[in-house]
Amino acid sequence: MEPIKNSGTQTAPAVFFDHVARHILAQHAHEIPDLRRATVLLPNYHAAQPLAQALARAANRPALLLPKMVTLGDWALSIPLDTPIQPDTPRIAALYQALRERRWFADADLWGLSRELLGLMDELTRHHVALPESEIEFAEQLTRAYQARSGQSMQFEARVVHELWYAMAAGGELDGVRAYQQRLALLAQQVDSPLYVLLTGDLDAPEARFLEACRARVLVTLFDMREMVADEASCAVMRMALSAPASHLREQATHLREYLPQSALGSRLRLFAAHGLEQEAQAADVQVRRWLLEGRRSIAVVVQDRLVARRVRALLERAEVQVQDETGWTFATLSVSTVLMRWLDALQNDFYYQDVLDLFKSTFLFADAPAAQRKQAAYLFEQMVRKHGVIAHLQGFVETAEREVPELIQPLVRLRQAALALPKKTASLAEWLGALHNSLDILGVIKGWSQDAAGQQLLQLWSQWTDDLHKDGTHCSFAEWRRWLAQQLDLNTFRDTAVESPVLFTHLAATRWRTFDAVLLLGCDAAHLPAPVNAGQWFNDAVRATLGLPLGNAQQVRVRDDLLALLALNDTVLVTWQTTKNGEPNMLSPHFEMLRALHLLAYRDDLAAIELADMLQHARVRSEVFAIPEAGAMPHPAAPPALLPERISPSGYNSLVACPYQFYARHILRLNELDEVREELDKRDYGTWVHAALQIFHAEFPLVENHAREQLTEALQRISMEVFDDALAHDYLAEAWLLRWQAQIPAYLDWQLENEQAGWRYQAAEQPFAVEVMEQLTLRGRIDRIDKRSDDTAALCVLDYKTQTVARLKNKLKEAGEDVQLACYAYARDAGSAAFVSLDDDKVLGVAPPHDVGELAELNIERLVTLFGQMRAGTALPANGIDAVCAYCEMQGLCRKEAWRDA
Amino acid sequence: MDNRAALDPKHSVVVEACAGSGKTWLLVSRIVRLLLDGVKPAEILAITFTRKAAQEMQARLRDWLYELASADDDQAREFLRQRAVLETDIERLLPRARSLYQQFLLAQPGITISTFHGWFMQILQRAPLNAGMAGGVQLVEQTAELWQEAWQTFLDELHSQPDGEAARSMQVLFKEFGLSNTQKMLRAFANKRSEWWAYTAGQHDPLEYALESLRAELDVDMDSDPIAKLAAHDSFAGDVRTLARLLNASAAQQAKAARLLAPLDGTLTVAPWFAALWDELFTQKNEPRIIKANKGQDVAQLSCAVEVVRAQLLAASDQKQAQHIFLTNQHALRCGAALLDTYQALKQRQQMLDFGDLEWRVRQLLNNSDHAEYLQYKLDSRYRHVLLDEFQDTNPLQWQILQAWFAASAAVQSTPTVFVVGDPKQSIYRFRRADARLFGVVREFLQQHYMAHYLTQNETRRNAPAVLNVVNGVFDGLPEYTDFETHHAHQTALPGHVEILPLLDKGETVQPDSTSGELRLRNPLIEPYPDQQVGAREGEAEQFAAHINNIVANWSVQENNVERRAEYRDIMVLVRRRTHLKIYEQALRSLHIPYLTSRRGGLLDTLEALDIQALLTFLITPFADLQLAHSLRTPIFACSDDDLMQLAQEEDGGSWWQRLQRIAQSDTASAELRRAHRLLQGWQVLADKLPVHDLLDRIYFEGDAQNRYAAAVPEAMRATVSANLQAFIEIALNVDAGRYPSLPGFQRELAELRKADDNEAPDEGKVSQAGNAVRIYTVHEAKGLEAPIVWLLDANAKSPADKGFDVLVDWPTQAMRPAHFSLYGDKASRGAARKHYFEQDAALASTEDLNLLYVAMTRAKQALLVSGNGERSAGTWYDRIANAKQAVSAENPLLVAQAADSHDIEPVPSLTLDERLTQPLPTGTRKAALTDAQRRGIWLHGLMQHLAMPDAVTDAQSLQRLLGIPEAQLPALWQQAQHLLNLPQLAHFFDAQQYRSACNEMPYIDATGELKRIDRLVEFDDEVWVLDYKTGESANPAPYRAQMNVYRSAMQAVYPGKTVRCALLFADGVLSEV
Ligand code: SF4
Repeated sequence: MEPIKNSGTQTAPAVFFDHVARHILAQHAHEIPDLRRATVLLPNYHAAQPLAQALARAANRPALLLPKMVTLGDWALSIPLDTPIQPDTPRIAALYQALRERRWFADADLWGLSRELLGLMDELTRHHVALPESEIEFAEQLTRAYQARSGQSMQFEARVVHELWYAMAAGGELDGVRAYQQRLALLAQQVDSPLYVLLTGDLDAPEARFLEACRARVLVTLFDMREMVADEASCAVMRMALSAPASHLREQATHLREYLPQSALGSRLRLFAAHGLEQEAQAADVQVRRWLLEGRRSIAVVVQDRLVARRVRALLERAEVQVQDETGWTFATLSVSTVLMRWLDALQNDFYYQDVLDLFKSTFLFADAPAAQRKQAAYLFEQMVRKHGVIAHLQGFVETAEREVPELIQPLVRLRQAALALPKKTASLAEWLGALHNSLDILGVIKGWSQDAAGQQLLQLWSQWTDDLHKDGTHCSFAEWRRWLAQQLDLNTFRDTAVESPVLFTHLAATRWRTFDAVLLLGCDAAHLPAPVNAGQWFNDAVRATLGLPLGNAQQVRVRDDLLALLALNDTVLVTWQTTKNGEPNMLSPHFEMLRALHLLAYRDDLAAIELADMLQHARVRSEVFAIPEAGAMPHPAAPPALLPERISPSGYNSLVACPYQFYARHILRLNELDEVREELDKRDYGTWVHAALQIFHAEFPLVENHAREQLTEALQRISMEVFDDALAHDYLAEAWLLRWQAQIPAYLDWQLENEQAGWRYQAAEQPFAVEVMEQLTLRGRIDRIDKRSDDTAALCVLDYKTQTVARLKNKLKEAGEDVQLACYAYARDAGSAAFVSLDDDKVLGVAPPHDVGELAELNIERLVTLFGQMRAGTALPANGIDAVCAYCEMQGLCRKEAWRDA
Repeated sequence: MDNRAALDPKHSVVVEACAGSGKTWLLVSRIVRLLLDGVKPAEILAITFTRKAAQEMQARLRDWLYELASADDDQAREFLRQRAVLETDIERLLPRARSLYQQFLLAQPGITISTFHGWFMQILQRAPLNAGMAGGVQLVEQTAELWQEAWQTFLDELHSQPDGEAARSMQVLFKEFGLSNTQKMLRAFANKRSEWWAYTAGQHDPLEYALESLRAELDVDMDSDPIAKLAAHDSFAGDVRTLARLLNASAAQQAKAARLLAPLDGTLTVAPWFAALWDELFTQKNEPRIIKANKGQDVAQLSCAVEVVRAQLLAASDQKQAQHIFLTNQHALRCGAALLDTYQALKQRQQMLDFGDLEWRVRQLLNNSDHAEYLQYKLDSRYRHVLLDEFQDTNPLQWQILQAWFAASAAVQSTPTVFVVGDPKQSIYRFRRADARLFGVVREFLQQHYMAHYLTQNETRRNAPAVLNVVNGVFDGLPEYTDFETHHAHQTALPGHVEILPLLDKGETVQPDSTSGELRLRNPLIEPYPDQQVGAREGEAEQFAAHINNIVANWSVQENNVERRAEYRDIMVLVRRRTHLKIYEQALRSLHIPYLTSRRGGLLDTLEALDIQALLTFLITPFADLQLAHSLRTPIFACSDDDLMQLAQEEDGGSWWQRLQRIAQSDTASAELRRAHRLLQGWQVLADKLPVHDLLDRIYFEGDAQNRYAAAVPEAMRATVSANLQAFIEIALNVDAGRYPSLPGFQRELAELRKADDNEAPDEGKVSQAGNAVRIYTVHEAKGLEAPIVWLLDANAKSPADKGFDVLVDWPTQAMRPAHFSLYGDKASRGAARKHYFEQDAALASTEDLNLLYVAMTRAKQALLVSGNGERSAGTWYDRIANAKQAVSAENPLLVAQAADSHDIEPVPSLTLDERLTQPLPTGTRKAALTDAQRRGIWLHGLMQHLAMPDAVTDAQSLQRLLGIPEAQLPALWQQAQHLLNLPQLAHFFDAQQYRSACNEMPYIDATGELKRIDRLVEFDDEVWVLDYKTGESANPAPYRAQMNVYRSAMQAVYPGKTVRCALLFADGVLSEV
């Protein structure tokens, strides 16, 4: 036998329960101690405990057999029915089909619409609305209710509702709402003992009808909190503020002061105005822990705003306070569903690598094997994608894996098998469910789910859907079915029931007739309390009134009643909200606004919780005490000689010149950026292709001046096409890059001709070099192109193609020694000339350094030797890059320039 | 201005009011007057430009109504008097005035104070079912990702159909404009899709229609070659000869004459022929060449002959260009329309709507009179009073929607009153398609159809006279700003000051002489790159930062009529664009001046956000060495370079994570490395299990992130860094609350956010409001804000030039649809036929630039400072303000040596804090999951409870569902339950014939208030049995004895006359009496 949780201690609000208890005992005086003949209808089972205790107190017996304490819903469920009940799932499917057939709504989300319609149908049933038999009559009824002239829109609305209503009724099945009504009717005939009903607000139509029927047979007593508070002086302020005002604020305040000179509310209720989400969460966290420290044993956090609640829970967990959560999360927001949807994404998007990666990174995948295996597969897959740039198509992955990563074949094949488990065309909802289940089973996901609390509940739901739908014949495409599934995941909620804790997250409606040691109402701004009514597309208040449906503000009234009851039944309440959100003012809930206003006026106290804000800073839990770091400053590590590289490229040397620390990170620590998965072609690809095209071209035409211009143009065009060909097959944008290059070809040929006229001859391309510049230091690299003078000096010129503007290149070369590339090439080949060839503008131009190239080469190598000598001797490498360099530096997280003491 | 007229609830009104004149005061006052007049909150619709403004209005209304409700009678009377309530009405209205507060708070439906988009959404949600908008839609605020997807899909489509029309057109565009300009142009087209739809509305083939209209407007014949035509024209050749003859008369021009005649010999093809002639008469810049008459030539004759030839060449060239314009439009519009289709289809599939769609749909909806009328009935709110704020920012579509709404209201006999307030001078949202000219149109419309009063207000409550003098000095009498009227200050005694700082021109840069002298290379280890690049902007930034400190040290400002020392938070810094902000921020940082920047997208690029992103990447990608090294260097771990070098040197190699794992085991590792290893290892495990937000919270907590960051960054940045860390976790919180969250998904979201448009990336974390920091905004963002001291930075920058590759639209303010729609490339390709559109556009742009300046200047309450860099050029903001210098006073009244310090530095109350609040407080437990046996036991009990209850639900299926029993388990359990119930030795407990009464799950309460439950209580004539079900096989009952005795004594009290017997009933059917 389980103990009942969240037991409340005796508090002032117990008067209400005592009142109920005394009343019941008086009615059943001759039966004490056996009260089993009485039935108490509860709003929820948490109210049972305080009521039982009140009974015990009042009866003062060693033992008391309690009345039947039950919610009406459960009581009704105990009544057997002969007809089977049709669950909502197939009803929605039927509506969906009906809508699809009628083609009324071309592009609309029919599942969403079906659900809305189902809600409307149920509402009509619940309120015993009988639609007229004729559609025209219904349309006229609507028109009258709208007080409008009839129009097509109105007629159509009438038609949709009318036609579907009768279509659904034609099935003759018993739906949930009707079944409930039937049960209540039966129950009303069986009731043979007095009924006591605990209420906080108005009854819904079916319940009201039921009690009406019972009245004919037995004594029915209502305990309505709204009436009960009237007799309680301590509740006067809230009663005034939370009911339709009969007089205005000043009169109310005056009245209150006369009647109750001391505020009864000030000690029970406080409002905390937070200036942002984090502060609100912190306030809630600290207050809950203060209450715990005071020894309170049941603390309710009534959640209006789920984001803050999530934050609060994380903060509480920092202090190892666990939270019992009655609110729960929809399945769509849980990772058990993420793996499912990612799998469907992968199927739909032709195994786009990101979907596959996400799959591999989910713990639910391949849960039948050790996790390390899956992680290894994820690791290999990611590396494969980054390295080989395959971004989609399962077959492509498999083929690449066969060539490069055999360990990946098996997991990929498993994906393929799972994909095959799904139907290719349309299928019924139940068939889809079954097939997907198989497919997930192959992936090991089912196994993963069964080891997870949310997963288990999802599996249960799954089998219930399958059950419910086994007779349903709605055939859907993959896309339609997916939307159905997404809707289901949105609609169903997971609650983690494993935690037992004095700290409870719940929602307002669940607090009816419950008492707690303390209550925190979280997120009480006007946007959340009352929550905005989703009026939907059907009718308006005028029509609803005519039809006999509850009005739009019913929800609001209910919230107000619930708040009143909550405040009456609990004497320690903190309300929190954010005064600004995204820099915009954010208003307090109107209910508390009124309460605050009245209290302020009557007692000069605006109920603000003051001391809490100052406490937050100092009430944080620290995880550990570890030496706090010092303020950052420019790093200048000295590298041990063993770590220094023995080879250096011109770009490495450039890095050393631009910022020694960058060089340190790249070439001493040898850290590199991950290969990016590139989905779009960019300038880098362009550069590579142009280099390749020119190399091939000059291999064919080392000297162009002897050839006809057309021939050259044609040849270079052809070669370029061939070089770009592979890319063209895969990517449409390659076309754009090719066109760009082709537009430049004439300019290139012009330049080449000029170059030849100036006496240069193409000699070689893509020439690697390696020169030992000092002991244990080799300079190596690759030269794009080398030209030679046609005269007998046979002097050389080293060239480097660049897809950058002339201005940028000139800038690079402006100051001697700041860009070392050409100097290094010149040194390697003992060339007297060197230039960048700018391939960016309409014109192709060579850009040479404004210095003597030979001298430049010598000096650069001398400096390189010096630098290495100094580094080997222990000279430190400062992070002294200038902003222009830092802007593109991937090492800013290492040098942390932004956070130095003196930037 | 006459407030009585403006606030009269019976009349429609148009108010044109200058900045700071209290437009919001007026509008909210009018709402109060409406409510006083008995108007229900639901009958009021107020629309303003931003959500923030709407919220502020709502808050102000609430505060005023509270004031009315709570004030004493005299105060309340005075309140009404200020709102121009007639003296004779005051007493009558007083009681109602006092009740408005509650009425306003409780109204259902309430008052609608919203933005256009908010209101449109409301309308759409209640759209008639046959309007083609049924089913839920989701409004997307961030579209960058969708665009990217659409673009990719579009390219894929082109790729799969390389010979399709669109693919071929795309090739032409690529060739013509290159990739990035093509993309820019198509994107521009899609951004103007509302205009496109409006332009082509009702056309069967929009593209065809648009092209045909363009063709007609360009007056271009695509089938003929204008140049060939000219060449073929005999008379033209004659004209050229005439000219050549005239030129020949001068010896100096004989060569030219010959060059003119040469092409006529018939050897050249058309293009070079034309080029040769063109070059003689036009310069390279295509301007007319000056051809002067020499001695012996007739000036008039010659210039006439030149003109004749020139005009024909120009005409042909214009024709040629028009053809080109038409062709590029043909291709670009085709591709644009196709791309747009892809984008729209993508959203349609996902039931998404962006702001543009929303507007367009509502327009469509209301343009259908049946739908529009239906909506009048359908909304629960029936607006009888419409108030429009900031009307100058309205765009033509919004105005059309309003008009349609008004028309529909009129059709159902409920024409509303309309109150419009705005200031065309503050219209700065052309890029969002606002059109300030609408203000005039609407004014006339309302005057004509709604008998509206038109009022103007040029008295401002915000600015000091000193500031206003300069505003007047800049704008009064400005030819481009004809409507400006002199502004007057309400607070005539408010001290003010305007300061124009000298322009910082390019600093003296010491250019190392690169050509002469000896070459010397810098040694980067010893000699940093010389900081000689102190450009003009950097100079301005330094001057700016230094002066801010000066202001804070020596100036005073007024707050609520009390003088106090100026603080950082009193200073608002304005820039036109964010482009160079980093440089100014850098200057502030180096002086440790706290500042807040609204630089959007900045958050994710801050070092601390990059740190966290690197850490997350490492956690799911263990081979990401650089990310690991980066994480180690963050203040969270604060590892040193020595630590990194140790890792780099580790002998066995492998990934850095592998190395760290090995080193951490050895005793050579530093304490930092060991701690990092321990924490990282834990987080790797958590990364698998926890949602992103929860993971981040653990990281922040266990890594002590906030404290460690606070210690590691410079004082001035502390608040910002802390706020940014917080803001980052809030992004995670939002992402987690979305659908299908995962860590890789979160990272993708971040990547998208970083790529997203400026206005879509999340804001940098806002420092808590109390923060005392300089605030930096763009002028656009500063709209609606004010500050005691405003600094206008970089004011010498020229207004941004049109970069081309955009859409050219002309939408006359009265018209339902644009009159012109075409695309254009660079400046050279605009063409003569569209000239007037470009001119009109340029004129509007330059007015808007002035508006922007007006908005910027009028933010300043007391002091306005202006600075800039570079050479002073005419027409810049700096230049305009400096020209109005006569209005600037020499002395600075804000300069007070001894201003009182601000009062709000209250001594922190020494609160007594429970020390235990900083310690863990283990609370709550996690139940162990039930074993299978336990679960089966529970199900079995459930079955027995139900089956042993007469008249209860007893069919297997219902019970299975009711009790949540898995299908596979049911048969066995069912059988077992039946078996137990039918056991002969138990029959007398379960067979209703054999007992007096029985009761399952029977609750009772004892005197101590403890609630207990008895599994089954069976009552016989002389005895009562308490049965306790046990899930397992029969066993020794001893451990249960105490419990059973509790039951026994309780039941004995209830049944004093009977024997109470207690027994355990085991799952195997054994009954064991205790
Ligand atoms: S960010 Fe700048 S200072 Fe830091 S390593 Fe890179 S280049 Fe050097």
